[in-house]
Amino acid sequence: MDLLQILVNGLSVGAVYGLFALGYTLVFSVLGVINFAHGAVFTVGAYFTYLLIGGAVGANGLLAGLALPFALPIWGALPLAGLGAALVALLVERVAFRPLRRRRADPLLALITSLGAGVILVNLIQLLVGAESYAIPTGALGGLPASFPLLGARVRTVQALLLGIALLLVAMLTLWLEGSRNGKGLQAVAEDAETAQLLGIDSTAMVRLAFGLSGFLAGVAGGLVGLSVSIAGPYFGIGYGLKGLAVLVLGGLGSVPGAVLGGLIVGLAEAFVPADWSGWKDAVSYGFLFLVLLLRPRGLLGRPLPTKV
Amino acid sequence: MSANPNGTAPASAPLLQVEAISCRFGGLLALDRVSLELAEGEIFGLIGPNGAGKTTLFNVISGLTRPSGGRCLWRGRPTTGLGACGINRLGIARTFQNLRLFESLSVRENVLVGLHHAARAPMVGALVGSGPFRGHQGRLEAQALELLALLELDALAQQRAGDLPYGDRRRLEIARALATAPRLLLLDEPAAGMNPAEKDDLRRLIGRIRDHFALTVLIIEHHVPLMMRLCQRLAVLNFGERIALGSPAEVRRDPRVIEAYLGGQT
Amino acid sequence: MDAALLEQMLLGALLALSVYLPLRCGQLSLATPGFYAVGGYVAALLSTGVPAFAGTGATSPLPALLVEMALGGSLAGLIALAIGRPVLRLRGIYLAIATIALVEILRVLNLNLPFTGGAMGIFGIPQPFAHPEGYVLFTLVLLAVACWLCQRLEVLRLGRAMLAIRDDELAAASVGIDTPRTKLIAFVASAVLAGVTGALAAHFLNAWNARVGSFDASITTLAFVVFGGSRFWLGPVLGGLALTALPELLRPVGDLRLILFGGVILLGPLFFPQGLVTAERLRWLGALLGRGRGRRKPLAP
Repeated sequence: MDLLQILVNGLSVGAVYGLFALGYTLVFSVLGVINFAHGAVFTVGAYFTYLLIGGAVGANGLLAGLALPFALPIWGALPLAGLGAALVALLVERVAFRPLRRRRADPLLALITSLGAGVILVNLIQLLVGAESYAIPTGALGGLPASFPLLGARVRTVQALLLGIALLLVAMLTLWLEGSRNGKGLQAVAEDAETAQLLGIDSTAMVRLAFGLSGFLAGVAGGLVGLSVSIAGPYFGIGYGLKGLAVLVLGGLGSVPGAVLGGLIVGLAEAFVPADWSGWKDAVSYGFLFLVLLLRPRGLLGRPLPTKV
Repeated sequence: MSANPNGTAPASAPLLQVEAISCRFGGLLALDRVSLELAEGEIFGLIGPNGAGKTTLFNVISGLTRPSGGRCLWRGRPTTGLGACGINRLGIARTFQNLRLFESLSVRENVLVGLHHAARAPMVGALVGSGPFRGHQGRLEAQALELLALLELDALAQQRAGDLPYGDRRRLEIARALATAPRLLLLDEPAAGMNPAEKDDLRRLIGRIRDHFALTVLIIEHHVPLMMRLCQRLAVLNFGERIALGSPAEVRRDPRVIEAYLGGQT
Repeated sequence: MDAALLEQMLLGALLALSVYLPLRCGQLSLATPGFYAVGGYVAALLSTGVPAFAGTGATSPLPALLVEMALGGSLAGLIALAIGRPVLRLRGIYLAIATIALVEILRVLNLNLPFTGGAMGIFGIPQPFAHPEGYVLFTLVLLAVACWLCQRLEVLRLGRAMLAIRDDELAAASVGIDTPRTKLIAFVASAVLAGVTGALAAHFLNAWNARVGSFDASITTLAFVVFGGSRFWLGPVLGGLALTALPELLRPVGDLRLILFGGVILLGPLFFPQGLVTAERLRWLGALLGRGRGRRKPLAP
């Protein structure tokens, strides 16, 4: 495989990692904890996309044979799936995070409660649509060709879409964070929740906003992965969830550009692993993660870690 | 040890020398080449307005903060790179301005943790709870109770440290620091939040423990009258700089101190 | 009760203690399943590949099991010792993520090393005990020893130092506790316990593969401790026993069982944020027992 092809593959996978890690980072920056249900929300987004695009549920599960009475094109299905995933993420916040916050419990307990929410979601999916894998029909791309040539490399249209949509979302998110009232409020809460509260910013609303956005990004990322590879079953988000952690730390916890940069780096690094060694591919990102934690725990673009005396 | 009327360090080798310590956080110079010498047995006060760098100096001396320049010498030897644990084992113990007790442990256990250095026991005996080990434990318990009695906390020994009222917490921090058998005790605002009667009690208590353990004491406190009565010598910090050093009477007369620190009030 | 389920519960309790040890000094390490996997591979490789350990191939000698447990525990402990210092400089969620990465790296190694049997893993591991009851007795002894050692922590200076670090690491250092060393001891002890447990579990399960040390297992073992309470050893033991049994006890509800399991994990911390076994409840229990038997010594401070 030549270099350009590797770059294209790496960047498109990296873009998804970045989108995924952005969701982690938004929640982390306001609450200081990791949402372990994030991988499950990603999975939900993938299944929503499949259904909205006109796919039918297989023979297993309670919803066997179900299909929506309409089939949307991809640019309709993805945002809707993202919204659906955002609602699910809000539900996760409601049941797994808010009660802990209200009781001022140890925030680390959210690791457990959010994982519990994730376990419920994943098994609910399995109960409803079965454990088999689903491929999103290629017709979903409308009239677009499956692939096109670029400077001698063969680029799958899906890969280009992945990259394009990811970059678009990141750009929009950045503009919104910097330019809008709510975006600035979110940043203020991330900086210092108590001060933000004193300044009249409703931190609960901001937390909800962060979860909604993070769910939307995860849902879109899930749909894109489902489109480009396939939905390998209800558990397929877990691997991405862990990979997202590596990306998150590499870029710097709480840093938006860091999450994107980390995603691209991990995606590219994995793309350079030769096919014969593909079994070791997963070790690349975790090896990176380990090194970064030991050498520069704040990550590439993160703020220095606070040390309290 | 008698008070030093002229405010200069005594001729014998100093216990602690602070040599041109600087500390920079980002763009802020929290300490600017501050130097001090503590003689064995004295009670030395550190005063200055908020943000003058007093607690930062404590953090440097006790090894919690690495200075950007300068060094500390303990009995003539540099303490650079020892870390908080190593410095405590030299014989320097401290309390914290914002109280850092082991809140989930009992009052008695807080002091026992302070006795960590003395609690070393043979591994096997400790694991099986042998007779000699239990004897050793008994002596530690007695030592802890003795310290608590000295600080009038013995009645509260079984209470959770996190449940204590404010004044008791302050004294428990002193007891815990004393348990580490220090030669130098650093007290960071021990009288904060106390009423005048309590402050008076505290002043007597500090004198008492200084005599009882033959300690040297370095103390930060905002309440200037208390410091004037308690300390043999005082240093004044302002914006990270040592602007005065001497006996209470000298410091009181120093025009820079009056301008920088007392200026607004007189 | 079914002896095989009982054995699984006991193994769960041992793993819970392995998570508890670092948590006793405030270190959230999720590395336990990684060390568990390592210990199991040591036992699996030795007892299927080395004649002296393999016995007849179907049954293996009990001394061989003991040696495997020692070797499995040692290897896990050595790994922990090698990486412990730098890793334990990380705090809170950073440490948790680093240990997740460690578990994943070990998993990839176990999947891809030339001698670990790939995705299929190693099977046909010989049995030192003819019946599950034999395992249960043996594991009970192991668990009792582990619990007793943890109980000793309540009176040892090491155990107190751990709690002090958990409450306030800086203050602990400033009263002369070597905090990096104390944390390292807890981390290595945790790894050894997980490795020993893995060696035993590999025989009991008869087969061993990379899936035993996965991220899911990290969180499940953490859930044991969060459930039981992380202050006193009894908490993790009860949490490990109960949460291992729960999915099996929920079997009658069929497909809903994992959903219910998730629900329990979700709701447990909301209703018992300190876990089931807390200092207050223990004191109450101690007072009750003390009155009954005229004994003043409390179970826990």
